[in-house]
Amino acid sequence: MTRERPVAPYAVTDSPEETARLERTWHSPGGLLGWFTHVNQRMIGKRFIITAFCFFLLAGILGILIRLQLAGPEQQLLGPELYNQFFTMHGTVMMFFFAIPVMEGFAIYFVPLMVGTRDMAFPRLNAFGYYVYLIGGIVLFGSLLLSMAPNAGWFNYVPLSSKLYSPGYGVDVWTTMITFIEVSALTAAVELIVTTLRMRAPGMSLNRMPLFVWAALVMSFMIVFAMPAVIVSSTLLILDRLVDTQFFIVESGGEPLLWQHLFWYFGHPEVYIILVPALGMISTIIITFTRRPIYGYTALVLSVVAIGFVSFGLWVHHMFTTGLPQLGMSFFTAASATIAIPSGVQIFCWIASLWGAKIRFATPMLWVLGFFAIFVIGGLTGVMVASIPFDTQVHDTFFLVAHFHYVLIGGAVFPLIGATYYWWPKITDRMMSETAGKWSFWLAFIGFNVTFFPMHQLGLEGMPRRIYTYVEEMGWGDLNLLATIGSLVLAAGFGVTLINAVWSVFRDRRAEPNPWGAPTLEWAADSPPASYNFRHIPMVESRWPLWDWEKAGERAVVTGLRNDRREVVLTSILDAKPVGVQVLPEPTIWPFVSALAASMGFIGIIFHPVFFVIAFFLVAFTLVAWFWPRRPWRDD
Amino acid sequence: MRVVQGIDVAEMTRFNPDRRAPLWWGILGLITIESAVVLTFCVSYMYLAAYADVWPPSGESAPPMLWPSINLGLLMLSSLTMFLAGQAINRGNKRGLAIGVTASVLLATAVLVLRSLELMAYEFSWKDHAYGSIVWTISGFHYVHVTSIVFGSAVVAILAWRGYFTRQRQIGVVVDTNYWYFVCFAWIPFYLLLYWGPRVYGQ
Amino acid sequence: MSFSKHKRSTGLVGATAPLLAACEGPQSALDPAGAAADLIARLWWPTLLVATLVTLLVLSLLAVAVLRARRKQTAMPLNARQSRNLVIAGGIILPLAATIPFALSSFSIGRVIDAPLPDDAMTVEVIGKQWWWEVHYLDEAGERIATTANEIHIPVGEPVRFLLKSDNVIHSFWVPNLKGKTDMMPGRTNVTSVTADEPGVYRGQCAEYCGTQHALMAFLLVAEEPEAFDAWLEGQRQPASAPQTQAQVDGQQVFMQAGCAGCHAIRGTSASGDEGPDLTHLASRRTLAGATVPNRTGHLGGWITDPQHVKPGNKMPPSELTPEELTTLLGYLEGLE
Repeated sequence: MTRERPVAPYAVTDSPEETARLERTWHSPGGLLGWFTHVNQRMIGKRFIITAFCFFLLAGILGILIRLQLAGPEQQLLGPELYNQFFTMHGTVMMFFFAIPVMEGFAIYFVPLMVGTRDMAFPRLNAFGYYVYLIGGIVLFGSLLLSMAPNAGWFNYVPLSSKLYSPGYGVDVWTTMITFIEVSALTAAVELIVTTLRMRAPGMSLNRMPLFVWAALVMSFMIVFAMPAVIVSSTLLILDRLVDTQFFIVESGGEPLLWQHLFWYFGHPEVYIILVPALGMISTIIITFTRRPIYGYTALVLSVVAIGFVSFGLWVHHMFTTGLPQLGMSFFTAASATIAIPSGVQIFCWIASLWGAKIRFATPMLWVLGFFAIFVIGGLTGVMVASIPFDTQVHDTFFLVAHFHYVLIGGAVFPLIGATYYWWPKITDRMMSETAGKWSFWLAFIGFNVTFFPMHQLGLEGMPRRIYTYVEEMGWGDLNLLATIGSLVLAAGFGVTLINAVWSVFRDRRAEPNPWGAPTLEWAADSPPASYNFRHIPMVESRWPLWDWEKAGERAVVTGLRNDRREVVLTSILDAKPVGVQVLPEPTIWPFVSALAASMGFIGIIFHPVFFVIAFFLVAFTLVAWFWPRRPWRDD
Repeated sequence: MRVVQGIDVAEMTRFNPDRRAPLWWGILGLITIESAVVLTFCVSYMYLAAYADVWPPSGESAPPMLWPSINLGLLMLSSLTMFLAGQAINRGNKRGLAIGVTASVLLATAVLVLRSLELMAYEFSWKDHAYGSIVWTISGFHYVHVTSIVFGSAVVAILAWRGYFTRQRQIGVVVDTNYWYFVCFAWIPFYLLLYWGPRVYGQ
Repeated sequence: MSFSKHKRSTGLVGATAPLLAACEGPQSALDPAGAAADLIARLWWPTLLVATLVTLLVLSLLAVAVLRARRKQTAMPLNARQSRNLVIAGGIILPLAATIPFALSSFSIGRVIDAPLPDDAMTVEVIGKQWWWEVHYLDEAGERIATTANEIHIPVGEPVRFLLKSDNVIHSFWVPNLKGKTDMMPGRTNVTSVTADEPGVYRGQCAEYCGTQHALMAFLLVAEEPEAFDAWLEGQRQPASAPQTQAQVDGQQVFMQAGCAGCHAIRGTSASGDEGPDLTHLASRRTLAGATVPNRTGHLGGWITDPQHVKPGNKMPPSELTPEELTTLLGYLEGLE
């Protein structure tokens, strides 16, 4: 039974004993073995973020090596074998092992804080998703060290990726590790959806949700509907390679184009899966640094949702040169051009919000402004390649390389770095250096443009993608050298941020709980947040709770949650009225064991199909252990 | 800043046996994802069929109808027993729950046996042509799912016989039942596609 | 916007950053010599102009927005109505105004480019290989009348139909100066047409990643006056001329005995391998190894001796010939006009 709010609310006072008890309840065990039992969302979120940035670093180094190889014509630094492995790994890791997990990591860390709850809906599943991701990434990079990395491109087109044309284990590793990352992404997506819809602080109706939470919600729904297509396509491919099915073998009635349809049905939304949370980060930063409510909250939400929907109707524009019927493809030109409208609405809502504001030009804001310059260009070249005739000239050339780096680095990585500066004090309780942050931004901004802008011209001059070298007569040498120089500057820019981050941990510059004066709930927690996130689940009456509280001088909270077990409030989907209390599970080793069992199966099937059966039952047993109720069976 | 009491939830239920439970939504998410997988398999089947000259390839005939149709009936029946088991525990009838879930597990096990016999009698292999590949893959996909609900529900049955579930503490039964429905009903599109598809399309 | 064909264009980087002198290579989409590429280049220039204006407009608005209240005491925000109008103008009208004309013109250009060919157009069959191009000329009945590799000749001013195939992985046929690319899909035949309006030698390159040596899978497309083309095709139809000198006879013997004939065909001799390019008129070609090196004695010798050095990973094995054998072999091959 819900008790109505009393007429004269009484003040809540906390005894230190009760707070300590709450701390013990949510505490994560120490020690090495304890590390594998952690389930708290901040632990898992932080691991996702750190691991993803490690992969960003590694894949970035591969990118630099690629640029060095292409710096001049007929260079000998990397041979074709190594180059092909490197560009395949660069694309695969950046897309699957960096971009998606880092966005999920930020969402896992901040969505529960921003909606004012104490953990994700399924903490153990959260941990499972992380281990699967970690093992997948390690195996993938392990294959590179053993020189058996995949080399058929991140898009892995059949029949090039079939056993006949790609013997060896490289493509097998690719398909199985992609399945890993799909599992990880899907678990995170389901959890984010359930956490967002059912565990928001009382009063946080859907129209009061922070824009980053909206973006994470849209991202999660997109993952749920996009990933199954690549699950099926990679399953068909692994079956073709391991047990001789004939899905993509032309002679037996197979269809190589089926792969392209399935892959791009996933692959196009994938780009927006990466972009959408970044859009949420931009809105978040703009609100805080203009120190006033954003203009067009509803328009921003609707355009993110629209981007999510439309992105599922664009996949054929990756296939304009495959010889599909012209008329059918024209539909996809029109659909691709329509995405300019929700993107335009977003951009202009932000401009309207920035107009004449007293902006605080701190580092996070600088990265957001950089985003505008780069993303507008990337968006415009995106409209260009939606044209079928124009695309036939620039498809699979460096023009496309330029285009999607403008969209993905400008659209996603710049806001991401901005968000890292923004949330760093919350995660670590330290402030990063502003001076170094500005250096980092300018180096990255200049380096980025010097690297990728000339690539537009190279593409128009006929330089195809995925070539490890080119003959001197082509005349592509100068611009390639320029791009390589730019890439070193860009790397230096990101390097400064890395050093800044590490340095801040050793430099004792403590952050206050809300150093930027932001309005959303994560800043109501300590820096870094306590293991229970909030001493009391807060209550919310607008989109800007912290600004409300500051004005009112008081805030209302939920009481009545027990401190001796992990309790959170469940609320209704639309208007966030409390409907119940959920007891969340404690730390456990089983998600880790389960991830190990699943990994054994996925890696094992590369060598023999019997591992599928073994792993199936092993995973089933670990799941039983994971879900088995504790004795004595809990009563209330 | 003054912290005041807004809502007190001390007396709210800690048992959320229905849509209030996060797990109910989590399983719905799983079912959504897997439904998308089912749909993608169906689209792949139709894509391969649409681009084939003859479907099934010359020399092959569409698989026999009898046993798959019986399987369909058994799966529907097992959904009914699951439903009745849920009704029983809603009334607090622990024994009814245990019997219902056990009956479902037995029915689904019978489906597995029949499916194994049917697959063993196929004259074509997945290695022969794309048609064989997709038929075997879809069959295998569904077979694995039936295996997993048999396994999962067997655990639920054991807990039920041991009296773990009560009228309040029954979210495990609810989500297991929902997933059970999904696996049984996923057989309908596969059944139509694999057995009726070639007969209708081949005409 | 007027744009004359074959003008040396400076392109994107040149247009925006005069310091970077862009030199057009032999494979540029901005240097059209055929109707299709010309139409696309004509679409490109106004598109670039509009895109530049849109970028400048958005960034100027952003600059005004951000800097407006910088030195002021208080914020100077837009009111709700002004904000709404800004979002409608910039977020809805501007994208529509920019994309609708662009989409419509690209539809109409697409229809012109893919207009059906006359039935009597000459037909060339090109088969993508790992990593070279097999070329067959077909007669009206669709029979192969001449076979060559990595060098395609077409008559200027006449539309030519290309049947694009692959018997291995996916490749993509692309001559940027003449037309956009079309993929070569295993199990399908894609058709494209190419018209060269100006005589010249254009370079084409595989544009779909196809494995180890995707980078060095190129070809030359030679557009020549119809008389010259007819003479060339007549020459290609003939079997190889018989060796003239004793040295060439010896060279032919080396060719047959060293295993070359296992992969290469020379029509008019017993060599009929079909793994590698047809060498019947090797000496008439301008380049070797998929337009990687010029067809000169030194390069040919180097290619035969150590093909893996020239194009690592390609499927031609190194040969173990004595210097004398190599010399006579080269003599023979260079006689295959």
